[in-house]
Amino acid sequence: MSVKYTPVQWNRNKWIYDAVMLAGVAAFLWVFLYVTPEVLNHDRAINPQIHNARAFGACAFVMLTVILCIGPAARLDKRFLPLLYNRRHFGVMTAFVAITHAGYILNWYFNFSSSDKYVGLLYANSSFGQIAGFPFEIFGIFALVCLLILAATSHDFWLKFLTPPVWKRLHYLIYAAYFSVAAHVSLGILQDQQNHLFTVVFMLGAAAVIVLHIAAWLSERGEAAAKDGAWAKVAPVGAFRDGYAKIAKLANGDRVAVYLMEGKLSAISNACAHQNGPLGEGKIIDCLVTCPWHGFQYDVRSGRSPAPFTEMVPTYRVRIEGDMVEVHPDANPPGTYVEPVPIPTPPSSEGVTA
Amino acid sequence: MSEKPFFVGYLPAPGPLRMFLLAACVLLIAGLGTAGYLMGAAQDDPGPGAFRFDYGRQTVTGVIEMTPYPVLHVVEGNDRIMPGDSFMMTAAGKSGVDSRAMPLNGQLAQVSGIVLERGDLYMMQLRGGRNGLRAAEGDVPEIPTEPQGRWQLSGEICDGKCLAGAMRPGRGLAHKACANLCLLGDVPPIFVSTQPVLGSEFLLITGPGGTRLPRAAYDYVAQFITAEGEITKRGDLLVWEIDTDTIEVTE
Repeated sequence: MSVKYTPVQWNRNKWIYDAVMLAGVAAFLWVFLYVTPEVLNHDRAINPQIHNARAFGACAFVMLTVILCIGPAARLDKRFLPLLYNRRHFGVMTAFVAITHAGYILNWYFNFSSSDKYVGLLYANSSFGQIAGFPFEIFGIFALVCLLILAATSHDFWLKFLTPPVWKRLHYLIYAAYFSVAAHVSLGILQDQQNHLFTVVFMLGAAAVIVLHIAAWLSERGEAAAKDGAWAKVAPVGAFRDGYAKIAKLANGDRVAVYLMEGKLSAISNACAHQNGPLGEGKIIDCLVTCPWHGFQYDVRSGRSPAPFTEMVPTYRVRIEGDMVEVHPDANPPGTYVEPVPIPTPPSSEGVTA
Repeated sequence: MSEKPFFVGYLPAPGPLRMFLLAACVLLIAGLGTAGYLMGAAQDDPGPGAFRFDYGRQTVTGVIEMTPYPVLHVVEGNDRIMPGDSFMMTAAGKSGVDSRAMPLNGQLAQVSGIVLERGDLYMMQLRGGRNGLRAAEGDVPEIPTEPQGRWQLSGEICDGKCLAGAMRPGRGLAHKACANLCLLGDVPPIFVSTQPVLGSEFLLITGPGGTRLPRAAYDYVAQFITAEGEITKRGDLLVWEIDTDTIEVTE
């Protein structure tokens, strides 16, 4: 939501976020590159180019693991939501780390021959019909291409150009990249390791990603199952607090945010038009709900951003059945005004926990 | 209901959330550093192979034999390389010296270069052009060739140069593509036996009848295999004519 185009809208939180992530990456690389050679104490050291390639490759894997853990962690515990805030920058960092790994590999293992190194990368090993000795480099190439696509389209320009649903689907490539990296590691370095500590760390990382995603899915499936029906149940009237929302997951998977504002209920889509941020986590400020991710604002009665901005989100019909607030699963076109539904008895100023 | 801390991207984080985020940031940085330590410290020893630049440039004279990979049987050595020694030769990078050695097959030649050494595996990376390999004057002694019979061996096919120390590590499946490139560039292939064979852990491999390593064997490079073939001792170097039909991958 902007009337003046600014390529990157920096603020203090973004600087802190990026500084923390950079510090983590620097810590990983510094320890791997400069501390562990002393610990290894080999009679003849690993070639610096191979040591560097391993450091950057391992770092890219760990970074990808962290990136994929942030999402489900935030779905399970909202306090992790700020870690989602600038995750795209961490993703771009990962692409740079991965391409550095690829550069070391290409300029060492595939260099110094009579053929072009890029050609050599593709033809040197053609044992596609076997597991042990499979040209695992192909998985690394695929993952790198995915990461570069994601990094190149991470800017808001592409979000606007492609539209949020398409952009979001495109960025599911991160999962393909992760599986490809897992195959790359499993068929490559893990086949050679005599010391299995690396294998254990690798498996713990991959297991964390899988377990967190399953836990988040089970948690949300339980919530959705509890809210099935023509009119979806949201929460008892008494559970609402003025200025905040309750989120309902519809049978079709969409999420609806139902707000209580000045004693009346209104419902809009939970997905912000900017980056699908969770509007239901937002707070109503000056009669407008503010997205927690990037501060986009919407009038909860119409789903429209205040002038001169033009963003709109779908609205939903709300009703109260007995003590239960319900929302109709059919979305209104974005920007459609819906008359707020007053609640019978305003809740106490202390609010009530659901 | 307690007031839930609410994060807005462009505003300072609320107090309770700030402590949580501070702890998360410290854990993240410490966790990444720890992961770097665990993964870096788990790397295996790459072995003792290395370029022996500390020996300086070595120049010796001997008889060239194409096995078909070029081998020098030393006639006039120096304080490091003795007469009677036999070693393989390569050029710089992932290239062999076949084109230079072939015209001198069976003749006396002077070679000059840097030694690569890994235990009893010896190889020389020759200097470019005639500085590295040229015909020499003198009588050509007969090189003894002693058949050692048919053997079944277990071990790994590698490229001799990386294994000898051009790369550390220079063997294993992660190195397979590099090894294939070396072999395609005529670097001599080496078999690393799991058990010493006639006193040696390393054998030069050729195809049956003294041909080059068959392309069928490339799929098995860097894997632990068992195979059969005739062993011949040429000078003091063991040459194994691998029978690719007998190759079996071992677990």
